[in-house]
Amino acid sequence: MIQDTASSAAAPRPWQLPAAIAAALLVGFGITVLVSAEPWRAWLALLTGALPDIRFSDAEGWQVRRLVRFGSVIEEAITLTFLGLAIAIPFRARQFSLGADGQMFLSALAAAAVSLALGGMGYGAFAVLPAAFAAAVLTGFTWGLVPGWLKARYGANEIVTTLMLNLIAVQLYRLVITQWMNDPNAGFLTTPVLPAAALLPNLLPRTNVSAMLFLVPFVVLGAGLLLTRTTVGYEIRTVGQAPAFARQVGMPVKRTVVLSMALGGIFAAFAGVHVSNALLKRLPVDLTPGMAFEGLVVALLARNEPRAIPMAAFLYAYLRAGAQAMERTSDVSREVVLVIQAFIILFVVSERLLPATWSPARLLQWVRAPRAPKEAR
Amino acid sequence: MNTASQTLELRNVSKRYANGTLANDGVNLSVVRGEIHAIVGENGAGKSTVMKMLYGLEQPSSGEIVLDGRPVAFRHPRDAIAAGIGLVPQHIELVPSFTVADNVVLGSEPRRGPWLDRTRAADEVRATAERFGLDVDPSASVRDLSIGEQQRVGILKALHRGARILLLDEPSAVLPPQQVQALFAALRQMAAAGLTVVLITHKLAEVREVSDRFTVLRGGRVTGCLASRGASESQITEMIVGRSVAPLRVQRVQARSALPLVSARRLSVLRDDGRMPLQSVSFDIAAGEILGIAGVEGNGQAPLAEVLAGLETPAQGDVRLGEQLVSGQGPRAVRAAGIASIPEDRLHDGVALGMSVADNAMANRYHRPPLSRFGWLFARKAHDEAQHMLKEHGVVARSADAPIGSLSGGNMQKVVLAREIAAEPRLLVASQPTRGVDIGAAQVLRQRLVALRDQGAAVLLVSSDLDELLELSDRIAVLFQGRIVAHFAAGTVGARELGLYMTGLREQAGAAATLDAPFTPHSEEVSA
Repeated sequence: MIQDTASSAAAPRPWQLPAAIAAALLVGFGITVLVSAEPWRAWLALLTGALPDIRFSDAEGWQVRRLVRFGSVIEEAITLTFLGLAIAIPFRARQFSLGADGQMFLSALAAAAVSLALGGMGYGAFAVLPAAFAAAVLTGFTWGLVPGWLKARYGANEIVTTLMLNLIAVQLYRLVITQWMNDPNAGFLTTPVLPAAALLPNLLPRTNVSAMLFLVPFVVLGAGLLLTRTTVGYEIRTVGQAPAFARQVGMPVKRTVVLSMALGGIFAAFAGVHVSNALLKRLPVDLTPGMAFEGLVVALLARNEPRAIPMAAFLYAYLRAGAQAMERTSDVSREVVLVIQAFIILFVVSERLLPATWSPARLLQWVRAPRAPKEAR
Repeated sequence: MNTASQTLELRNVSKRYANGTLANDGVNLSVVRGEIHAIVGENGAGKSTVMKMLYGLEQPSSGEIVLDGRPVAFRHPRDAIAAGIGLVPQHIELVPSFTVADNVVLGSEPRRGPWLDRTRAADEVRATAERFGLDVDPSASVRDLSIGEQQRVGILKALHRGARILLLDEPSAVLPPQQVQALFAALRQMAAAGLTVVLITHKLAEVREVSDRFTVLRGGRVTGCLASRGASESQITEMIVGRSVAPLRVQRVQARSALPLVSARRLSVLRDDGRMPLQSVSFDIAAGEILGIAGVEGNGQAPLAEVLAGLETPAQGDVRLGEQLVSGQGPRAVRAAGIASIPEDRLHDGVALGMSVADNAMANRYHRPPLSRFGWLFARKAHDEAQHMLKEHGVVARSADAPIGSLSGGNMQKVVLAREIAAEPRLLVASQPTRGVDIGAAQVLRQRLVALRDQGAAVLLVSSDLDELLELSDRIAVLFQGRIVAHFAAGTVGARELGLYMTGLREQAGAAATLDAPFTPHSEEVSA
């Protein structure tokens, strides 16, 4: 089996993530002690607040409460998984594309438009859902081609172009909803509610956890196979690891750069469908931009490794729900939790700064690495 | 001091790395004040580990380091520097826009108030340079210096920090032959002035030429310590590899009457700033022939190799392989036409360091059957092929899944060559194929090149190792300032004569290395 090597280059250690989280939680607890009169209670709320409450009483038998909150954890974890993948794929080609936000907005719009159109004509779920997915995926892919092409053709920095394209995408989304898809009966600016045939089946009552959950493992597996088992994925990894080498052996480096951003768009499209056809069931004009940056954090936590992304997404969503619980039930503000999240990310991402991994051998390697002066151009 | 003559000693030093590798096993080494002591051995023999311990980058697992009769423990390079030990790394990092003096005093600047005292800096540097006979102009800008001069700046820097013992890590590897001589002269003068020099090398000629004594390492153990005078080359070789290496006997090929397989005509490369690193270069290579390119580095070898590999489009001229035009077509088309290439900078262009051996081994063939079909990679097939390659080429690697960065330089290069040969090329462009590779592996690599030639491929061999060029090439062309200035048949020319053309002291007007071009006439004074 071909080793998945971006991770091996970063030399991950199995204890690293848990250690980083433990260290961050410890620091976070230290902060809580400083700001709270009842740090233990607050801390417990953070750690367990996202869990459903299962109780047994003689009068009512088994009861599960607070399922809504746990549902929201799962909902968010699903969106973040897709967005994490959308960021991770171009990152593996060393393209710092931040365009997942725009891709998600336009994909959601495309999915909603197709759902409304086909659902309105009375087609069933087996026609409407695949069509909605197809429209979204196509939109995400195409929107990703734009910064890729700008980079490959004109050398335009992808960080700048994707951020600008995000703004354009969000305004385009608002324009379309305000002008052409507005539901006059809603009382606020939004599309009509999507027809039932376009909605993903619900799994947990009183939540929006849908059948999308079953799709997640397949999408993650697909992303993993894309990277390890296809020529395009191999090109993406090689271009990301050693661009000069990729060029030397004749890989189509520019095409790979473009494709990495476009392929990331496919995963952002799944997030878009999840938002429109499962979570909200309609698209309000004021859908909040910026989710993709949480996807960026998830990708960083998972070190761009598809298999690790669902775990990272769940952890992130779990902490966020816990944060809300902490805020509600104690005197600690939500900002403290944001600080702790930041610590976790900092600890994981700055693995190279940990003293245990610093070694003189590495330094010497660096000193001796051949940097013979090349002929100046 | 009763043990005054023993400046630096390792007593029974062993070093086991955290990953379990035993890099040094009971090493005893004694360096006497005022001598030049060479540490010799193949890659992976433990030379670098010895040096790291002497410079405080690594600490011995057992045994002790003794300096002037007192045991010392260097926890950090600054301890070693304080004790008078200086390291000159192989690739010296200097600030190109600074002067020599600025670079030398960087980190320990003489000050006047809060300001850098530049006059005093220049004076100090000049004084140090004169004392040790290092010929450097303190006010010159580093960007204008040759590599040899930059190396002297590196040495000056160590001396300026008060080094009494200089550690040099393969200092000649980056230098053209003439500058090596200058370096050695400087080292001898420093030793005469009372400095102690410890030199790491794997070139036998250097051991005998410059060092007073040498210590040989093999597999982490000391296999001998001798005075250089009187030691024969085969004796040293045997200590290094544990057997004596028979010189490669290469049957020469006479291709004068053959049809060229590769023909390049009037190739020129033009840079944006108007410079022409390659000027009107013409050559042919017949099938089954090795054309060697000699030259001091930076005289057009790199652009030539890049044009042939499709990485660079020539401003003028063209390259044909058989009937097919291959210049300016891009690397993939060039490779599809049957050109393979071993790039000069192995770590940057030759491998993807973070990826596995298997991923590296398939990089030039992954896009077609049998390794992939319709964009789907057959990972199992690629893995098996890589595993087979490792076995066939005698590559020492844990498995095909191991990151290629974990292999030694020689083994890495074997993978590179195996990959290029696997594409069954009609022309192989080999740039510095054995650079930084130990003797045993270099021999294997050279045999592979000759075997490829004997199967009917054309080989363009670019090497700064003259012995290698003279040993392998059927014809040799010399590049100087982007032009071919001489063209010789195998066996008719020696390193000394090549050197005259490489340094521009002599040139044949309008020389070309086409099959019908005349050979450069020999000059009497050289053959005399």
